[in-house]
Amino acid sequence: MMLSVWVAATSAAMILAPTLSARKRTEVPRVLALAFLAVGMAVAPDARVGLALAAAAAALHAVGAWSTSRIGGIALGLAAGASAVAAVGAALGRVEVAFIASIVTICLRAAVAPLHVGAAELCERAPGEQVRQLASLLPLVLVHVRFLADVPLAQEAARGLFLLGAVASLLPAVAALAQRELKGLYRMTTMMHGGYLLCAVAAAGRGHDAASVFAALTLVLAVGGLGLVVTALEARCGSVSLEGRGGRVRSFPHLAGAFAVLGAAGVGLPATAGFVADDLLLHAAWEESVVATAALIVASVALAIAMLRGYARVFLGPPVHSVAPDLLLRERVVVVGVILVLLLLGISPRWIIEGLI
Amino acid sequence: MNFQDLLPYSVLVTVAAPGVCAVLLGLFTLLTGRTPQERTSSGLIRVSLLLSFVSGGVTAFGSTGRHEVDFGPWIHIGGYEVPIVFVIDTVSLVFSLLAAAITGLVARFSATYMHKERGFLRFFVLLGVFATGTQMASYAGALDLMFLGWELVGICSMLFIGFFHERQEPVRSSLRAFATYRVCDAGFLFAIVVTHELLGSTRLSALPAAAALPSLQAATLALLFLLAAVGKSAQLPFSGWLPRALEGPTPSSALFYGGVSIHLGLFLLLRVWPVMEVSPVAKGVGVAIGCMTALYASAVTRTCSDAKGSLAHATLAQVGLILAEISAGLTALALVHLVGHALLRVWQYLRAPNMIHDAHRTNLTSEIREEPAVDGLAQRLYARALFRLRLDEHIDRAAALVVVAGRALDLADRKLRGLFTAPGANR
Repeated sequence: MMLSVWVAATSAAMILAPTLSARKRTEVPRVLALAFLAVGMAVAPDARVGLALAAAAAALHAVGAWSTSRIGGIALGLAAGASAVAAVGAALGRVEVAFIASIVTICLRAAVAPLHVGAAELCERAPGEQVRQLASLLPLVLVHVRFLADVPLAQEAARGLFLLGAVASLLPAVAALAQRELKGLYRMTTMMHGGYLLCAVAAAGRGHDAASVFAALTLVLAVGGLGLVVTALEARCGSVSLEGRGGRVRSFPHLAGAFAVLGAAGVGLPATAGFVADDLLLHAAWEESVVATAALIVASVALAIAMLRGYARVFLGPPVHSVAPDLLLRERVVVVGVILVLLLLGISPRWIIEGLI
Repeated sequence: MNFQDLLPYSVLVTVAAPGVCAVLLGLFTLLTGRTPQERTSSGLIRVSLLLSFVSGGVTAFGSTGRHEVDFGPWIHIGGYEVPIVFVIDTVSLVFSLLAAAITGLVARFSATYMHKERGFLRFFVLLGVFATGTQMASYAGALDLMFLGWELVGICSMLFIGFFHERQEPVRSSLRAFATYRVCDAGFLFAIVVTHELLGSTRLSALPAAAALPSLQAATLALLFLLAAVGKSAQLPFSGWLPRALEGPTPSSALFYGGVSIHLGLFLLLRVWPVMEVSPVAKGVGVAIGCMTALYASAVTRTCSDAKGSLAHATLAQVGLILAEISAGLTALALVHLVGHALLRVWQYLRAPNMIHDAHRTNLTSEIREEPAVDGLAQRLYARALFRLRLDEHIDRAAALVVVAGRALDLADRKLRGLFTAPGANR
């Protein structure tokens, strides 16, 4: 029960976060509906209900994304279709079909290469919607872990999926080192974490449920939080280049701090949920493949370097004065909340783990 | 109640006091938007460091032999456990007290040195976090916990190097140091996973079981630890970041690259000695790296024209020797050497700015002797040392290859995404 409460609260809060920080009242009904669907998924009694709610949520996300990104909208529409197939499969007792469709849904929404095109476009064109759809991915992962990770196919496919996830994690991490724009860095960060999530979901097939929940939590909180920060920064400065030095730290100290903490949490900063996720995932990885373990470690190293390079290029260097304000109070509340949850789960992961045992 | 009952509390205070004070200071500033006065912020951190040192003393006084203080599991799932366990023995006590004493002295020195400097509060907050990181690494009784402290030290090191972030060079240097740290920390992370899978636990008390491992597995594990240590202690081929790291404030340079952080890699090897001991390959590699670094750094020191660069390479030479001592099995000698070296270097680093000032004041610079003309092998060696074996260029070239690969992957990604859209359309 404790786990469901954590997942429901985290997911609902992150779905509401972009609307709260940007104060977009027109979105409120849809966003509230999404939050209710996320809570429903977190407490779903079986796979049918959970996956049907996931399909409805993905369809609502597709509607929200359509006006800004056609490809994003189509990808989310496909994810809704895949979730619906999974729900029907679960209802008819065809758990293998449900498992495959659920994995496809997770790949489409978590930007796992090569199914990343839609979610990657969302990172660039509709980052707010991307944060929301990542947030409602968390209860979907919980549904998958609870009801589909035990099917025989999950165990058979674990190694293959794990290797796929490791590759899907390593390639974007290396590409992140060569990004010339902040949005590109954010896109590659999302894709790298998508690969991590696929590995973790595959590991759930061998009983490593905690790894998948923590990987999903890190994706939602650290990468989602980073999305909020990137959106806030670009609302103030326009498109942010990674060429040269931005020197924005004096004008936006809170934004810089939030970027640093969330970026570092995503690459396993000690005492955050990211550290626990890395620890659990690497433990699971060893059982699947030594090569995959090495690939995941290299991916984490590469992304950490890319993240620091990005931070240095955006915020450090000769100071540049800006008339735009630093994080507003409502934005600060959201960002501080995200960081606190990351820290709480990092310091005391047993709240999540005990719910899984 | 006797002293041994106090051990859990004294260890906890030693480890946590500076970090808690740093976090409180940081939170106060974030929430109120007001920067505390210099005296308040430095005073608070200094008191916490004193508390840490005194508790360390109590721990040393109250312990006889080896103790483990277990605070239960941090993560526990089935057979997988990450324990919160601290170990009190000679090595941990010596390193902990050394780190606490040096950090306290540097904090006192910095209160005056950093007076009215922009970032005064940031400096002391980082100092508190660093102290907690070193104490955690010192007392850690499990590799995961040591990695936590190790990472905190690395992050603080990077932030101190880039302390004057409005200038280009410190930022570039901090990125280089961080990249080196991360690459070598990958070795530590991998070693933790391997230790857990092969030995069943990451507790230090489980490491002697490495003696029963096949030689290839034992060598792999020991070499992974060695990689982590070599990076942290700036040994060849990762020596290039150390001279650049001196871009930070002098007190932090003294603390990190003279006193504590530079020796943390060596401390790791002392802690995992049961694994190193059973691998002749790793010991041989350790001796070779240590000796080569000592030779390289001694040669470069003779060509350095700046005080700090010269000090950095002198430090490297001694650290190389200590690494060779550890790898040769002379662990007790290495520990004594480490303590003496750390104290001497801290004093030299802290004295360096005054020495330069005095040299200018007394016009010593005009008395620089002409180097005697050399030729043949000596000339070639001099030239090689002058350019520091072009280590940084080689590493930059390797890094450039990774960036080229990244660009190619990015291009492929753009092409793939481009297939789904017409140019200029709403994608």
